[in-house]
Amino acid sequence: MTYIEVGGKQLELNDEGFLSDPQQWDKSVAAVLAKAEEGLENLSEEHWAVINFIREHYEQTKLAPMVRSICKTTGLPLRRVYELFPSGPAKGACKLAGLPKPDGCV
Amino acid sequence: MSEDTKKDSYEEHISGLTPAELAKALQTFCDKIEFGDAAQLNSCLHCGLCADTCHYYLASGELEALPAYKLNLVSAVFKNQHTRLGKITPALTGAKALDADMVSRWVDSLYGRCSLCGRCALNCTLGINISRLIRLARTTLASVNLVPPELQSTVNTAVDKGNNMGIPRQEWLDTLQWLDEELQQEVSDSAAHLPIDQSDTRLFYTVNPREPKFFPLSLLATAKIFYAAEESWTFSSDYYDVTNYGLFSGDDEASGVISARLRDSMHKLRANTLVLGECGHGYNANRWEAPEWLAGAYGFEVKSILEIIADYIRQGRIKLDPSRNQKRVTLHDPCNLVRLGGIIEEQRFILKRAVSDFVEMYPNRAQNFCCGGGGGQLSMTRFSKRRIEAGKIKAEQIRATGAKIVVAPCHNCVDQLSELNKEYKLGVEIKTVSEMVAEALVIEH
Repeated sequence: MTYIEVGGKQLELNDEGFLSDPQQWDKSVAAVLAKAEEGLENLSEEHWAVINFIREHYEQTKLAPMVRSICKTTGLPLRRVYELFPSGPAKGACKLAGLPKPDGCV
Repeated sequence: MSEDTKKDSYEEHISGLTPAELAKALQTFCDKIEFGDAAQLNSCLHCGLCADTCHYYLASGELEALPAYKLNLVSAVFKNQHTRLGKITPALTGAKALDADMVSRWVDSLYGRCSLCGRCALNCTLGINISRLIRLARTTLASVNLVPPELQSTVNTAVDKGNNMGIPRQEWLDTLQWLDEELQQEVSDSAAHLPIDQSDTRLFYTVNPREPKFFPLSLLATAKIFYAAEESWTFSSDYYDVTNYGLFSGDDEASGVISARLRDSMHKLRANTLVLGECGHGYNANRWEAPEWLAGAYGFEVKSILEIIADYIRQGRIKLDPSRNQKRVTLHDPCNLVRLGGIIEEQRFILKRAVSDFVEMYPNRAQNFCCGGGGGQLSMTRFSKRRIEAGKIKAEQIRATGAKIVVAPCHNCVDQLSELNKEYKLGVEIKTVSEMVAEALVIEH
């Protein structure tokens, strides 16, 4: 178990760096996770488009979206998504959007 | 008690196990032991040669990771149940009852320090199939709902939703339609298409759900190869998941439910051959274990996609230009596909024709080290730090090759290798065999 500090509050991460409680997420958490987990100093408009869509999808369905939906909604080519999040859509983008780790081979 | 040592509900379940639960677990243990298992559970000579084989033991040096120690945890309970001396004088024989303390040690060592890779059996002077016996202990724990919850969650999702990532049917179909467009662009042919639910094709192709969910380039690559070979093939709209995490959790019942679905899809589609995508444990589960779980032979042919691609090359159905893949490539041998599955040379035959600079890592083939991601380890967050630590051996194997691309015919391995790449700063790309072949394809029609 590790912790990150966001706005004076200590938030718990699980052993793989995912937020233990997805409800604690807000945009400032994403920025801190980006630096701590993905080594991203700044999040661009493209990063935010992906993160915001994943978060909205999760709020509605409790699931991570398909990468097809990410590309269709943001207009980003697939390969660009992988460039933006070096750890990929699950361990990169979904983690920054505060989702729990998805089931399956990830 | 500090925050870091507080028990979660799973650990509380273990410490509060009821006599009825323990009795049920023991009953499962006794029911599942076959004659050969009993002989092996009584055979370990404690020679210690298995120490050199286990990536967990080599990385940590901890006794709890030593294969003979792990085997002994299972043998101790066996002796207590089934041998006269073990019942009368357990202290003299090392026999131990299956109580909450023993369950806790089973979980820590048999789920938490083993990827069921089977490498320990290579050095065993008596040929004890240690990973089989460890899975037997997992089956015992599964019978009383003691699979670590993160691993159980993936099994549940597969059983409840039809695939291990819970992809809704429409999302799967939308993704295939999207890939249609990508394939048409890729091969400059508006008639190129990914077929769904076509009856009486030669092949029914199955995939790992993480491909449509997050990493569809490998799917696109395989579709491109089928296109180039002018293959008769299909996807299924309902059951298409090649994985079976019941193999890892030890739950034979769930394993049977999951494997019955691909068999039923085959019957529905009336294809000739069930083709298993690049998935190590999916190959082992569906090729070798499923007929056991289903208590009957399939009645149809089962092949790895690697066998199919190798045949295309041998028969001249596809043409490859290795100069399109110039970077140095090495190959990781997934334990369940290679050591436990028997698909050993096909991937080498293919890569030597698809890339211009192929190098082996050492050791390789059946002797290869596990990447650390198998056996359900990728799911079990509670043991993830050990998983990354145990992967150090694989990372050093890779680094020594000087390769820029690591090919892994297993999506589970691909994910673990990607994490090792980040953790140990290897600076490599991780790809599937199909991706390398698709890159080298020369399409003439």
